[in-house]
Amino acid sequence: MTTLISFDIDGTLEVGDPPGCITLDMVRAAKASGCIIGSCSDRTVSNQQRIWETAGIAMEFTVLKHQLDAVKEQFPAEDYYHIGDTDLDRQYAERNGFHFLLPDVDVVQLWENGN
Amino acid sequence: MTSSNNFQWRRDRDGLGVWEHRGKVAVVGYGHSPVDRRWDGVNLDTSLGAYTIMACEKAMEQAGVTIDQVDGIVCCDSHIAGGSGGSASNWAPRPYFDPPYDSEYGITLINAQWLINAMGFKNVRFAPTGVPTIGEMMGMASQAVGDGVCNTCLVIYPTGNLEGRYRRGGENADDFARGARQWTVPWGNHGGNDFINIFPHNQYCLKYGGEHDDLAPFVINQHKNGMLTLWGFNYNHGIEPISVEDYKTSRYILNPLRIWDCDRPVNASAAYLFTTAERAQDMKSQPVYVLNHSQHNFRFRTTQPDLDEVEMWTDRQAARMYEGAGLGPADVDIFNPYDGYSIMTQFFLEGFQWHGVKRGDAFAFYAGDISVKGPHPFFSSGGNLGNGRTRSAMYTDSIEQLRGTAGDRQVTVRAETALCAFTTPSSGGWLMLGKYQS
Repeated sequence: MTTLISFDIDGTLEVGDPPGCITLDMVRAAKASGCIIGSCSDRTVSNQQRIWETAGIAMEFTVLKHQLDAVKEQFPAEDYYHIGDTDLDRQYAERNGFHFLLPDVDVVQLWENGN
Repeated sequence: MTSSNNFQWRRDRDGLGVWEHRGKVAVVGYGHSPVDRRWDGVNLDTSLGAYTIMACEKAMEQAGVTIDQVDGIVCCDSHIAGGSGGSASNWAPRPYFDPPYDSEYGITLINAQWLINAMGFKNVRFAPTGVPTIGEMMGMASQAVGDGVCNTCLVIYPTGNLEGRYRRGGENADDFARGARQWTVPWGNHGGNDFINIFPHNQYCLKYGGEHDDLAPFVINQHKNGMLTLWGFNYNHGIEPISVEDYKTSRYILNPLRIWDCDRPVNASAAYLFTTAERAQDMKSQPVYVLNHSQHNFRFRTTQPDLDEVEMWTDRQAARMYEGAGLGPADVDIFNPYDGYSIMTQFFLEGFQWHGVKRGDAFAFYAGDISVKGPHPFFSSGGNLGNGRTRSAMYTDSIEQLRGTAGDRQVTVRAETALCAFTTPSSGGWLMLGKYQS
């Protein structure tokens, strides 16, 4: 089994508005390590897909903020994480059985420590 | 500075007759700052104060007016995020900067005195305090110029936004509904027009048929018009058009209100320059004339208005505006009401009976051709939904349509009169503009 990571965009990723501390290289590293990765945002699905196309990163899923339940249904994984910057991210993550992480120094250290 | 309480300017009653200054006051300039999502808290060149100065300079430049010629400044001196804005509207307790950014003024608030000091106005004789929002300010300036209180008046509407949860600070962020709030806002915030207008909107759907998602064509059209507005947020930030599917699958903010039904708070400022019709003839821009203004602040029967009240209020707003301008629904070419939440717009459309739309007709009207190049170019500005929460797009588009300078947004139907507003069903103000004085 593997780990699934869902990324919010605005306030979370470096390409968000406002920019967050999660770099696209960190997203690439998560994918390279075998994680199932995708984005979960209030941006339209087509807009999310365009971001990932531009970045050259193939995502497993691009869903709206309130659709994390569908992600869990579709992708069996050992652990589910959602990284986002708002209370709303926390609400949807916890409601759907995802571990919730804020995009801050602690999260960045997970990458630096190779976790 | 003078207090606005000293000047009886409001036209806020029924049956006032034709406005005594109809066609004798003109708008001769406007200016917009860039529209950012929020201020970064670092770059003072993009602060609310700097953006307001920029907007004023553009408005004056458009008309060829110098600082010495301006003798009136009407500037909204409250924050758009309100008293419960929390960290989204208050810079303190963070440290201030060097003058003129050494207080909240210039950062989160702007008033006339701050502008007078920062820009060096020397001949201002009308600079009221306690100034209302843009919906009423435009009428205040019109009346002041018409009454001779001032001759050349800047109207400024700053709309600041800092990082943080907009309108969800202060008592709205409290885990408890304390004191009287236990009766009025037991769920946290019942003051917003999202909550207030959901109930009559649902009643509307039940009474006239249709469902909430029938708003989709209207909201999508607002986005299209916004992408034709070169100063707006959407155009400058690559906000992609939304589809019906995008709309119908989007998240509920307050069921049935979806995220696309809500405007996007921004950091920006807008300025407009009013003067007498006589002086306008010597200025370098094409004037548009004020044909009427009115204000309203209707009393709620309970904490929650219903559809009957909302329809009665908007009927009265329309009657006041048409009477004061000496015009009727068939005379209005451009119609830019308010759309801070999409669910309130149908009440204005039907109350003013624009293009013959009567009560219960709005959803069918939205499903037709409401594009700017079509026969019913409804809300040609794109409003707040298409441009960000500046509350000024309705006014600027109306001016541009009458001047014939709206670019790709220019309507193909007649454009000689325009109704524009910042208003909710219960409170706000309207302005009627004309290409000609009479």
